[in-house]
Amino acid sequence: MYLKIFVCLLFIGLLGEVFAGNEIREKSEKIIHSRFGESSTFELIKYQISDEIKSQIENKCGQRFFKNFVYLYKIKGSEGEKAFALLDNVYGKSMPITFMVIFNTDGKILTSEIIKYREPYGGGVASSEWNSQFIDKDAGSSFEVGKNIDSISGATISVRSVTKGINKLALLIDLIKEKI
Amino acid sequence: MNRSIVSMFLFLIIMSISVSAQDMNFFEPRTEVGAYGELHLNSVKPENAQTKSNLDFHRFVVFLSHSFSEKWSFKSEVELEHNFVNDGQGELELEQAYVNYHYANYFGLQFGVVLPSVGLLNEFHEPPLFLSVERPDYHSKIIPTTWFGNGAAVYGYYEGFDYKLTVMEGLDGNKFDYSSGIRSGRMKGYKSDASRMLYNARVDYIGFSGLRAGASFSYNNAKTDSVSIPLSLIEFHAQYKANNLVLVFEYGNISYGEGDLKASRGFYGDIGYDVGKLAGWESQLIPFFRYTQYNTAADTEQGGSIEEVYSYAKWMIGVSFLPLENIVFKMDYSINSRELDDFKTSQFNLGVGYMF
Repeated sequence: MYLKIFVCLLFIGLLGEVFAGNEIREKSEKIIHSRFGESSTFELIKYQISDEIKSQIENKCGQRFFKNFVYLYKIKGSEGEKAFALLDNVYGKSMPITFMVIFNTDGKILTSEIIKYREPYGGGVASSEWNSQFIDKDAGSSFEVGKNIDSISGATISVRSVTKGINKLALLIDLIKEKI
Repeated sequence: MNRSIVSMFLFLIIMSISVSAQDMNFFEPRTEVGAYGELHLNSVKPENAQTKSNLDFHRFVVFLSHSFSEKWSFKSEVELEHNFVNDGQGELELEQAYVNYHYANYFGLQFGVVLPSVGLLNEFHEPPLFLSVERPDYHSKIIPTTWFGNGAAVYGYYEGFDYKLTVMEGLDGNKFDYSSGIRSGRMKGYKSDASRMLYNARVDYIGFSGLRAGASFSYNNAKTDSVSIPLSLIEFHAQYKANNLVLVFEYGNISYGEGDLKASRGFYGDIGYDVGKLAGWESQLIPFFRYTQYNTAADTEQGGSIEEVYSYAKWMIGVSFLPLENIVFKMDYSINSRELDDFKTSQFNLGVGYMF
C-alpha cells in the first residue's frame, strides 16, 4: 500500500519534466515584469568582467566568479524608473546555483532571487524570507553569515556561497554602474 | 507492483532524453570531493571508580559526488570509525551512495544507500553543526544516528516547507533490546532484508530566518525469528540559529507493538550564545548548556524497576570555538545520573573537528 503511494508520487512529480523549457530566462524576466510592471522594458547583455575588476572583487569576497561574464538586464520600468539586474551562478556543494540580484541606479539591492537550485539539500536559500535580508545592502555593506545574514539549518554551504555571490555582484555593480 | 517499478524506470529513461534546450545553461559536469572528521579525548569517571581516558579519531569521512547533468548526479559518503578495522573493532561503512534526480527545487529523487530523515542530525552531522564533542546521547539512544540503508527517497522544498519521504530496508527486530532500543537493529545495507520496508516521512518549516522546526514519522513491521514487531517512531525537532543564539530541542518516542519492550523515548535541549560575534570577532565562541533525558526501556511488559535501569538524566556544560566556519574545537563536562539508584558518571571531553 505505502509502496504504491510512493511510486505514484514519483510519477506525478516527473510528468512535468516533458514540458521543461527555457526556464532560467523566462523566470528572470517574469520577476522583472512583476516588479517593474508589464509595460517595463529591458535590454539583456552578456557583460564581460575585466580581469582587473574580477580579481579585485574575488580577492575581497574569497570566491571566484563562475565565468568571466555575467548577464546584465538594463531595465526601464513602467514609470520610467531605471534599474539593473545581474544574473550569475555560484557553486553549492557541487552544483551551480543560479541567482539574480536587482539593483537601483545607486547600487542598492532591491531584491535577490534564486532562479534555479539544483542540489538535493539546502533548497531553503530560495525562500523570500531569507533573501529579504539583502534588501538595501550595497557595496559598502557587510555580508557576513551568522552576523548580519542568518544561516539556514541544512543549507550551510549554500547560504555561505550565495551570500558571497550576492556580495560580489554588489561590488561589481558599484564599479560599473556609471559605465553601463 | 513489480510492473509499476519497471514502468517508473522506463519513464525515467525517456525523460532523460526529452529535456528541452536552455539558452542559459550554466551546468558543467563536475566531480567533487568533501570530508569531515573528528578527534576526541574522552575522560569518563563512574562513581567510586577510576577515571578512564581515551584518545579516539572517532570519524574520518570522505564524500565523493559527480554531477552527470543538471538533473542527474551521484553522491556518496564512506566512513571509517576509530582509525582502524579489525575483529569487530572500528567500522568501515558506506553511509550514502545514491543516484540523485533533481527535477526541481520542489521535487527530487534518490535511489541507493539513503538516509531516512529523522531528527536534526541524521542527515546533517558534521562536527561544526552541533555543540558537544560527542553527538547528543539522544542521537544514539533514541534516534540511531547515523541511520542509513538501501532504498529510495523523494525530497523537495516549497514555500518554506522542506520534506522528505523515504522507503528503505527495515530493522532486524531480533536485535532490539532494553539498553539500546532499535539501534542494534539497523541492517546498514548489509544484504538487507527487503521483505519488510521502513517508511519514513518528514516535514520541516524553514521559512523563518534561522529556524528549522518539524516532525517525522517512521513505521516498520520489523521481522524477528518468531513474531513481527510493528514499530513506529514519532519525533519533533526545532533549531533556531540567529541573533547569536543557538537553541535546539528534540523529542522522540518509539512504540513497539509486540514483545517485552513497549516504548523508548527521550528528549534534549541546548541553549548557546555566540559571545564571539557579540565581541565583534570573526570567530565564533559558543558557551552552551544541555539537558538530556532518555529511557530506552520507558515502557515494558513486566514494568517495575526495569523501567528505571535504562533511564538517565544528563546535564552538560561546554564551549565550542570555531576559528573558521569549517573548523571547530570543543570542550564539555557532563554528569549522567541513572534513575534506578542515582548512580552518577561524570565525563570530560575535548574535541577537534572539520568539514569541507
